[in-house]
Amino acid sequence: MSDFSEELIRPTTEDEQAEPCVSSGTGMYFPWLQKRIETVATGGKQEKDFGQTTSACFGFIREALLKHQWQKAAEYMCSYLQILEDSDSNKRQLAPEIIWRLGSEILYYHPNSSVETFNTFADRMKNIGVMNYLKISLQHALYLLHHGLLEDANRNLSQAETWRYGEKSSSQEVLINLIQAYKGLLQYYTWSKKKTELSQLDEDDYAYNSASQTMLSHSWKTSINLCALIQIPGVWDPFVKSYVEMLEFYGDREGAREVLTNYAYDEKFPSNPNAHVYLYSFLKREKAPREKLLSVLKILFQIVPSHKLMLEFHRLLRKSEKEEHRKLALEVLFGVLDFAGCTRNITAWKYLAKYLRQTLMGSHLAWVQEQWNSRKNWWPGFHFSYFWAKNDWKDDKALACEKALVAGMLLGKSCSPGATEEAQWGRFAQKPKQPSWNIGRVFVTRCGSWWSNCSSELCGLEHACWP
Amino acid sequence: MDFPSPLPPSLFMTGPLGLSNVPDVPFMCSWRDALTLPEPRPRTSEDGAPRRAEGLLWELDTPGPLPLLPPGPDPWDPGVTARDLLFRGGYQFRRQPRAVLDGTEQLSRFLWDHGDIAFAPLGQLMLENFKLEGAQSRSKKKTVVSVKRLLQDLGGHQPWGCPWAYLSYRQRRFSILGGPILSTSVASLLGELLHEELALRWQRLLLDDTFTGGALAWVPGRTPAAGQLVYPAGGALDTLYFQKVSLSPGSEPRVLGGPGHIQLRGPVRQVVTRTVQGEALLAVRSDYHCGLWSVGKQGQPAPLQMLQVEKGATGISLSPHLPGELVVCSRSGAVCLWTPQDGLRQIYKDSETLVFRDPSPWRWADFTAHPRVLTVGDRTGVKVVDTQGPPGCGLLLFRGGAEASCQKGERILLTQYLGEHSPECLHPTLHLVCTQFSLYLVDERLPLVPLLKWNHGLPSAPLLARLLPPPRPGCPRPLLLAGQAGELLLLHLAGEGASAPRLAGPPQSLPSRSDSLSAFPLLEPRSQRWLQERLKAPTIGLAATIPPSASAPVLSLFHLSAAGDVFHQRLRLQAEPGPDPPVPTASWTPQATARCGRWLKALLEVPPAAPVWAAPAFSHRRLLGCFEPQKPDGKVPEGLRTAMAQGRLLRPRDLGLLLSEERPPAPEPGPGDELSERLEAAWEGRVAGWWERQRGASSGPEKQPKRPKRRTQLSSTFSSLSGRLDLSDAPSPPPSPDQTPAEARLQPPVTPPSQDLTQEPWAQGVPSERRQTLRDYMAELPLRGDSPGGASAPSSQTSSIRATPSRQQAAVPSGSQSQRKKPRMGF
Repeated sequence: MSDFSEELIRPTTEDEQAEPCVSSGTGMYFPWLQKRIETVATGGKQEKDFGQTTSACFGFIREALLKHQWQKAAEYMCSYLQILEDSDSNKRQLAPEIIWRLGSEILYYHPNSSVETFNTFADRMKNIGVMNYLKISLQHALYLLHHGLLEDANRNLSQAETWRYGEKSSSQEVLINLIQAYKGLLQYYTWSKKKTELSQLDEDDYAYNSASQTMLSHSWKTSINLCALIQIPGVWDPFVKSYVEMLEFYGDREGAREVLTNYAYDEKFPSNPNAHVYLYSFLKREKAPREKLLSVLKILFQIVPSHKLMLEFHRLLRKSEKEEHRKLALEVLFGVLDFAGCTRNITAWKYLAKYLRQTLMGSHLAWVQEQWNSRKNWWPGFHFSYFWAKNDWKDDKALACEKALVAGMLLGKSCSPGATEEAQWGRFAQKPKQPSWNIGRVFVTRCGSWWSNCSSELCGLEHACWP
Repeated sequence: MDFPSPLPPSLFMTGPLGLSNVPDVPFMCSWRDALTLPEPRPRTSEDGAPRRAEGLLWELDTPGPLPLLPPGPDPWDPGVTARDLLFRGGYQFRRQPRAVLDGTEQLSRFLWDHGDIAFAPLGQLMLENFKLEGAQSRSKKKTVVSVKRLLQDLGGHQPWGCPWAYLSYRQRRFSILGGPILSTSVASLLGELLHEELALRWQRLLLDDTFTGGALAWVPGRTPAAGQLVYPAGGALDTLYFQKVSLSPGSEPRVLGGPGHIQLRGPVRQVVTRTVQGEALLAVRSDYHCGLWSVGKQGQPAPLQMLQVEKGATGISLSPHLPGELVVCSRSGAVCLWTPQDGLRQIYKDSETLVFRDPSPWRWADFTAHPRVLTVGDRTGVKVVDTQGPPGCGLLLFRGGAEASCQKGERILLTQYLGEHSPECLHPTLHLVCTQFSLYLVDERLPLVPLLKWNHGLPSAPLLARLLPPPRPGCPRPLLLAGQAGELLLLHLAGEGASAPRLAGPPQSLPSRSDSLSAFPLLEPRSQRWLQERLKAPTIGLAATIPPSASAPVLSLFHLSAAGDVFHQRLRLQAEPGPDPPVPTASWTPQATARCGRWLKALLEVPPAAPVWAAPAFSHRRLLGCFEPQKPDGKVPEGLRTAMAQGRLLRPRDLGLLLSEERPPAPEPGPGDELSERLEAAWEGRVAGWWERQRGASSGPEKQPKRPKRRTQLSSTFSSLSGRLDLSDAPSPPPSPDQTPAEARLQPPVTPPSQDLTQEPWAQGVPSERRQTLRDYMAELPLRGDSPGGASAPSSQTSSIRATPSRQQAAVPSGSQSQRKKPRMGF
């Protein structure tokens, strides 16, 4: 009786025990196994009429829900409540949870339901089967929050916060933390509202003082509420963000830094890119040294090379004196353009065209070669194909220009990495005619030259495209 | 690319699946996903009404899908069912029925049906004991049998066809010789193999993953309203058909001309199509082969390359980034990148699963947002593998474990990359992971933490999923999910830019093929069942398209069944899903029923599948010849002979017998009549009089016929018991209507064992030494039928000894809860 989730698992394990009879060896659970067996086995313990009617009723409710027939589902729901009296203790314990899920879903979508109906239902459900009290309270509060009833939600959460039942299990603790955190978030909303009001007031005004007083007390309460949860591994973006904002406002920079560093670098936490983004923006606000910013972005680069902050990272690296940073700047740009979602990012192409030229002028041919070697067999088909040339030219001429410039540098005859490529493709092109499907190389050959022609033709346009 | 910020809160816990103390933070209600946290500055709630406009609702044109193409000429058979494989007996003391493979029956059937296969190799083993030439044996050894004689003895008889075949002494010797070998080797060798095969079949019945991904594809044509359906057909699904179809927003799709087809060497399991950089490609997976075609502008397929996969292929995917690039997975656990120009390149090989390290016969791979990075999945997890990095390294993207709060026994059935080439409306980094319970959306930039979890609740394995482009700009993208048994779910995924992906609106279920049964004309029961079975055939392919149109978008949905039938359904996007959406009800149009009728007519012309095995036929004509000289004596042999000569069943009529006395006995005027009599009386308000009559009759001298009355007396005991209750409870004549069903329930034709004891034949099954004890025991009991007062008491007493269930059944007349519960709580 310690934990609800345990009870949720229990029927499954029973089925598991029933299953190994068949030499499956995989330990996989088949929800449809039962039905298959029932078509054959007539012996054994038959499901009672009561169980049959409730499961049939469940099926009807599910069907009605999936057909958006809320009224019908609500009617069936009245009958389904008999499951609370099931003689099977397992089913009886699961029942409140199922009723809550179905009922809340129906009430959420039912055209005639109101917040009051939902409140009544939730309050009743909280007290049927004590194990669900916290969970239902939290969901109820979220519902109220969603309907803009912040005060009601806050009251609900405060009630749930003080609720205890039996020994405090770990899942109960997490839920209480979560409830407290949501409460903290609500307090943060009022605080930030006050803050905006305050910013509109005059500092000498009497009202200013009292308002700042209330703000102070709010922040103190909130910090208690928020900091417990964000120690637990998880994704807590909204909580961390608001907590840090409040800490920052009251000048607790060290505290904010600690929270963010912990959130980003604790190994028990999932590698959440937002944690690094938050840390970076905090450091940036704090005017931290560039080295520090670079180290944060470098980790973000390793996790998400396609992040939009990467262009900023590139700019920072570009300005750096260090050779390795300037080399990394090139890698970052190539990295961004590797991704399918970034192929039409004109800024990235612009940066690449400019930076490639700069790099080649600075006689760092090896850097380009290093990046190009792993991409030479797929970038032409991915970025510089005839199809894209045509489409880009049609849709976005500026983009086409930038791409043409890059292609010219990478594939063209003018610079050496491209020259070797060209020679290779030249050999390909001289081969006997390939079958029509072989667009990969043949097309690319043609397109490569098209792109390089394009780039030379477009030399005049170059200035127009570049800022 | 934007990364969603802030992400929805979720708890992260590492550990095995089914870990008990994970609070289920991503709650599974669909409305949960609609709840986004308000912005720091809470918007002024105008009227408190929740936002509902997002949910899309599709209206059905017809209540079920309609056949698009005529049925194929090959018959279809549903194959083995659970009934064929499982032991049919029940277990007494088990909470839940178990699946026990029925090896014994299968083995005996196999030996009976395929004796030649089972025993022929044994001849080889016993060769030294046979003498093939016909001369007299000079050998002193008694262990050598002349085959010639043996065969002569066997004559035309087939020993396994006729159990009463004449047994000569030679055959006897043969059977003694062969006995040890036949009994042990056949049973052990064959039994093992058979059990293995049965287990395999049972596994396949529970989960047939060969069609994962689906074998139906829609190849868009030159105009958006026309295209081609590519699907396998034919009895073995080994012919790939290309059917041109034109769609129009106002009417059913039109099939243009006959289909083109390509004959392949094996059954087609998966058909994938993608248009990459303006070029339509088609990849086909068979059991041991994979093929790649390019589809020209006119729609003609041109083969590019074929590939043989020795260990068997389990999955094939086409790259959405580079034309002509594929990834192929094999049963050996290898994943290869395949381009027609460069050939195969193995990028991953591991015969074990990612998380559990157990053998992994199923593997799946797909592409990601990075053209050089792939996902490799098996039943336990999904890994992201860089094809350019060192082999074997990679990050786990999804783990069937506590991270995704998976249940015990939860396994991955399908993974799919959702980033098609249109990144609008959804992040192009999302992957769909389906298990038998839930659906997960995972972003490859945030491994291990699913951004969305929804309990799909499908009653069969979800092996097919299709993500469609948004029906209108700015709308969420529809995602179709199909269970193997034909169930279809339509969900909407939203979330672009800085918002996390979520379900937009409540999911919708779509009708399956068996919902169309009512559109077909009614048939005689046998054909009706056949049609029903055909409509219930597993779904093996799913394709959908939304041709752009000026008016309301129309979704054309095609599904392919294992019988090779292509069905079609049209869905129309509801214009304004207001706060009170009218429940759309579709009905069959005359055109639809006419279409179904035509299809059915064509289906009925298809010859039924030939049985796998037919009983050996005896050459009765020869036997007839043997008997010919004998003089026909009497009508019966004559009838027998004519029936044999004509090769038809021998009916009693042929023998000229009037078998009236052996007709199944007509129902005796027993409990039924008594009941109806009583009901009749009750209706007329004379139940008291009836009861008096009844009393008088039963207290009279015992002159009932014995055997048929045994059963009726029990039920009359019960019915009279309840009848007495009727009297005492409700002396007023008209009984309340709810008592009638209770009474009807009270006379089931069961005979509790206790009643057997009161009659003569009870002694038959009892050992003689215990008969006296029983007799004494019986003597102690006041026998039923003495008096009406005594009639109820002893029966409940005796039955309380041995027939508890029936007593309970009798004691609880109309099933009120409190009454039902009491005895159980006492136990």
